[in-house]
Amino acid sequence: MKFTDEDLRKITLAAINELGDKASPELVKKVVSKAVEGYGIDKQFQSNNEKASGRVILTAFGLNKPGIIAGLTKALGDANCDIQDLSQKIMSDFFTVIMVVDISGSNKDLRELQDSMNRIAEELKIKVFIQHEDVFRFMHRI
Amino acid sequence: MPYEFDEILETIRMTEVEHFDIRTVTLGISLRDCADRNIENVKRNIYNKILKYGKNHVKYGKEIESRYGISIANKRVSITPISIAFDGFGIEEYVQIAQVLDKVADDIGIDYIAGFSALVQKGMTSGETELIKSIPYALSTTKHLCSSVNIASTKAGINMDAVNMMGETIKLTAEQTKDRDSIGCAKLVVFANAVEDNPFVAGAFHGVTEPEVVLNVGISGPGVVLDAIREAGNVDLQALAEVIKKTIFKITRAGELIGRKVAEKHGVPFGIVDISLAPTPAEGDSIADILMAMGVEDVGAPGTTAALAMLNDSVKKAGLMASSSVGGMSGAFIPVSEDMGMIRAAEKGNLSLEKLEAMTAVCSVGLDMIAIPGDTPASTIAGIIADESAIGIINDKTTAVRIIPAYGKKVGDYVDYGGLLGKAPIMYVRELSSAGFVGRGGKIPAPMRSLTN
Repeated sequence: MKFTDEDLRKITLAAINELGDKASPELVKKVVSKAVEGYGIDKQFQSNNEKASGRVILTAFGLNKPGIIAGLTKALGDANCDIQDLSQKIMSDFFTVIMVVDISGSNKDLRELQDSMNRIAEELKIKVFIQHEDVFRFMHRI
Repeated sequence: MPYEFDEILETIRMTEVEHFDIRTVTLGISLRDCADRNIENVKRNIYNKILKYGKNHVKYGKEIESRYGISIANKRVSITPISIAFDGFGIEEYVQIAQVLDKVADDIGIDYIAGFSALVQKGMTSGETELIKSIPYALSTTKHLCSSVNIASTKAGINMDAVNMMGETIKLTAEQTKDRDSIGCAKLVVFANAVEDNPFVAGAFHGVTEPEVVLNVGISGPGVVLDAIREAGNVDLQALAEVIKKTIFKITRAGELIGRKVAEKHGVPFGIVDISLAPTPAEGDSIADILMAMGVEDVGAPGTTAALAMLNDSVKKAGLMASSSVGGMSGAFIPVSEDMGMIRAAEKGNLSLEKLEAMTAVCSVGLDMIAIPGDTPASTIAGIIADESAIGIINDKTTAVRIIPAYGKKVGDYVDYGGLLGKAPIMYVRELSSAGFVGRGGKIPAPMRSLTN
């Protein structure tokens, strides 16, 4: 929960009204900061929510060899990501894999996921890109 | 699959290969409520206000970057023109304000803060006169500060007294920063018809009609446009315009998405997307290369102006379709030092100051990042500014002059700033005098808006 200045002003006014004659600047300050702190739990929720934001598109390219899909899907499974769609193409020695992955249930955010994918990419000598679905939606859909 | 294979690959290619990035997210902050008679209070107010809104600017930008996988090259701040918020001070106080701005920019981790500015197209207050006089000292004692002065507009005409003053100011700024290739001049823009919501430094400022705080975005993808044109092959110009429009449409959409998300994070209103094609010194990130891919042998060849006009117009058309909040400059930038292709053309002598001037008539923004001999008289610089302003006010567009009379250097030498500001060869300036004309001073009256032939 984030407070804008306007919110804080309203809270302060409400506190002054409530306190009536007792309202001294020190008391109001104390009451307001205590009330605002109470939203700590909300804050926690907010940041969790931020981590889990919808679907991402995962794209992988490289020279074909056994174990690529296995490597990618294992890492996604470990991170509690849900693969909703998967398509792949193989052109002679090269492969391309595109996945639509729901990361809302994941304990990792996009950057952490990208980091673990980079490690796999290095091991398998392939390239893996992850981008938020919104980017594709904005660019290609009106 | 909700997206086509090709669409996905295209997006990956744009961001990973073709240098598509969000050039800048610029947080505009009003400083009007920081006014006070006492300079110490002013300095404290400015510092606290910018810190309050700007302290998470870089952090939020980075978070959005990693969330969407699109890089944001610069996070910056623009402020109310200092002469408006703090009219009535003297040179010394303005320099102190400049240093506070520089310090707060450093503390919040941004590379540039812009808005050490004055709008004097019609006339000057005594505060504005003092501010302009303080510019050379402000820019020579700061690292992150950018300054701009608007000296002409279609409604007011050209304030030639201000033009002359800017000629002198630019010379003095060059001298004050001579130990660093006159870098001060790279952070000083002289405008005609300046826009109030431009997110691109050095010319950014937070206009007086803007809200308390606002977030504007500048996108950039010359590399993407270049590849699209190359891929299109030998098609006619109408088909080429279509290719450019489709590409710009996509990158504008991405720009708007990122802008809105950063603004959301800040909890401030989203302002505009500036769809300008802005080059960087990186190879492949060049407007000159686009013009050459369109078919001219080099920038400066006959046909260059027409190619640029078409490019600029296509950018605008596609951008306006893609976003309802297009603003700022929204065209194509042709800075010399920041564009490898322009540098090459200038080195070979294919690109002259006169051709550049013609090109500025059809694109945003103007004579930008051009290095000229250090012994160029102030009156000649004033003449160049007057010419450029005339193009602006007659065509009802923004034009600007960011010119560097590199102290102690002559044609054949270079100024080299590294980073985004790049490197520029000193260009030849005609040695004919403008003194008799600009020296008359006064004003060039506002132009008429009908019978426009």
